[in-house]
Amino acid sequence: MVKPSTSDQYTIAVPEGLELDRTGRLELYYFMALNRKLEERLGLLYRQNKVVGGLYSSLGQEACSVGTAYALERGDFLGPMIRNLGSLLVRGVRPTDVMAQYCARAIGPTRGKDLNVHFGWVERGLIAPISVVGALIPVMAGIALEMKMHSKKQVALTYIGDGGMSTTDFHEGMNFAGVHKLPLILIVENNLWAYSTHVSKQANVVDLAVRAESYGCYGEIVDGNNVLAMLDATRRARARCLAGEGPVMLEAKTFRRKGHAEHDDAGYVPSEQRAEWEKKDPIDAYRRFLVERRVVDSAQEIDEIDAKIVAILESAANEALSAPFPDPSIVTENVYG
Amino acid sequence: MVERNTMTKNARYVHVPDDETKIRMLHFMKLVREIEDRIEKKLYRQGRIVGGVYVGRGQEAISVGTAIHMEKDDVVAPSHRDMGVFLMRGVTPRRIIAQYMGRRTGLTRGRDGNMHMGDMNYNVIAFVSHLGDNVPVAAGVALAFKQRGQKQVALCYNGEGATSRGDWHEGINFASIHKLPVTFFINNNAYAYSTPIELQMAVKDVAVRAAGYGIPGEVVDGNDILAVYDSGKRAIDLARSGGGPSIVEYKTFRMTGHSAHDDAGYVPPELFDEWKRKDPITRFEKALLEEGALTQARLDEMQRECALIVDDAVEWAEQQPYPAAEEVTKDVYYEGT
Repeated sequence: MVKPSTSDQYTIAVPEGLELDRTGRLELYYFMALNRKLEERLGLLYRQNKVVGGLYSSLGQEACSVGTAYALERGDFLGPMIRNLGSLLVRGVRPTDVMAQYCARAIGPTRGKDLNVHFGWVERGLIAPISVVGALIPVMAGIALEMKMHSKKQVALTYIGDGGMSTTDFHEGMNFAGVHKLPLILIVENNLWAYSTHVSKQANVVDLAVRAESYGCYGEIVDGNNVLAMLDATRRARARCLAGEGPVMLEAKTFRRKGHAEHDDAGYVPSEQRAEWEKKDPIDAYRRFLVERRVVDSAQEIDEIDAKIVAILESAANEALSAPFPDPSIVTENVYG
Repeated sequence: MVERNTMTKNARYVHVPDDETKIRMLHFMKLVREIEDRIEKKLYRQGRIVGGVYVGRGQEAISVGTAIHMEKDDVVAPSHRDMGVFLMRGVTPRRIIAQYMGRRTGLTRGRDGNMHMGDMNYNVIAFVSHLGDNVPVAAGVALAFKQRGQKQVALCYNGEGATSRGDWHEGINFASIHKLPVTFFINNNAYAYSTPIELQMAVKDVAVRAAGYGIPGEVVDGNDILAVYDSGKRAIDLARSGGGPSIVEYKTFRMTGHSAHDDAGYVPPELFDEWKRKDPITRFEKALLEEGALTQARLDEMQRECALIVDDAVEWAEQQPYPAAEEVTKDVYYEGT
């Protein structure tokens, strides 16, 4: 059921000149909805004690992951963070892979040896996230350096949170990328909270994008809840990178609607702040956009996509949970190259 | 926003030293030059120095023109080209030469060499070899001042190369969030060892990075002692009055190699010629002679005084013993005061 927009409602602004056909517009919805429903399903598995370790939600930030990853092309490399499940899905990771990984099953990408989204898939241009926040930036800068040295028409894209921006590696990685004009896109997901630290205790500036200037790179502030804006800004960033103009830093203004991880009730977040951002839900807004802009003939079409996702997740959960845990004999395998 | 302040003659400074202070600053600049010339060009080549030699030739105005504003209880974290800081805090040339000669009466009692020295009796924090590491240290000192409600400030010096280090970023970010009473001085001498500034950062001025921390940044002619005096005073006053940190970038040039063993063959000779004409000491001498604050006779006498001070320091230092072997484990761990 999609209710019509009211005047004070958060609406999706369409970036000028955005080229995206109907299939593309619906795919963006599909990946955002898949992102959310997969995390909801993982939430149930977590409560059923099927998930091993922590569960990290990107509730409210789906547009950021999906829009940015969707802008990339084959051959580009993406280094996700813990809240970029949507980016993985866009790059072709299946829900079965994700569930098997979260539940530590032998069929998961790390064969049950690591958890959550801590896995890479080089064939799909995915670099495994590094727990030590910020450390991916120099890694992705290194990948971008290789692309530049070999004159490849490719870019590297990675993410950082408002908190991760306070780290050493952010600074060193962006400085290096700036000096060498590397084709690196950094998406700063400013979701206002780094665990329980509010951004005002993390940086003495309101807009983190102002830091782009420190590294001689282009910076822009983007509505992180608008998937079309994220897609458009990332496409333009990619074009800049390919034109040899150096790295780009996009600050996505968004909000982390759940705790740092599933165990965290985020009682430190003011409830009115949460309520305010609930009204800007990226998926609800995009549904309204699809109906109002007549991308779909009726809301029923969207409901059908949802139903398809539910079915995919059902079969993925069955497949993942019927897989065995890793055999102890493989413990020393894949440790060294 | 970055302010520019570069011309001696037509500039209108907020703070102008009186004649006595001017002569005092000239004395210290000349003394730094004399000590470092003696160490680098004579004692080192005669094999009388233990270890490497790092001098700040051409950069004397920066440490002298800023440290002159320190009050007794302020704390300073100098870098390795800031000999003027040590002298102005009251460390004697005798002890500095003894330090360079590895003698027991050097600041580190013969355990470390050259500028790797500090002494909390003078509120000088020992230089950390890992460049940029003194930034979080100075921020921590300033945090203590703030927590105790003391009106003291911390001064921190770095080169432009050190600003590529993560510690620099983390320390300044922390200081800016907590509005700490610390001032960051950058000796931008155009070369970090053999790396020219354009391979070190993608920005022309380090000071533009201040905007990324929401703090003031200023670019100043580091070879103009009066500009240094003025900007240093304003920055320190700001910190002392609760206005928080700022970054003052002093444009200068390293008129030597990275160290005494380095012939700096990678530096285009015309750069040395260009900066020799901007020598901070001869410039200041000329200005003082022109305005009548100094006579040629007095200037010659000052030169002789400096030479005598260094003669005495060398003679004294050479009579000092080396540390005793049995003391090797002393001062490794804190043993109480």
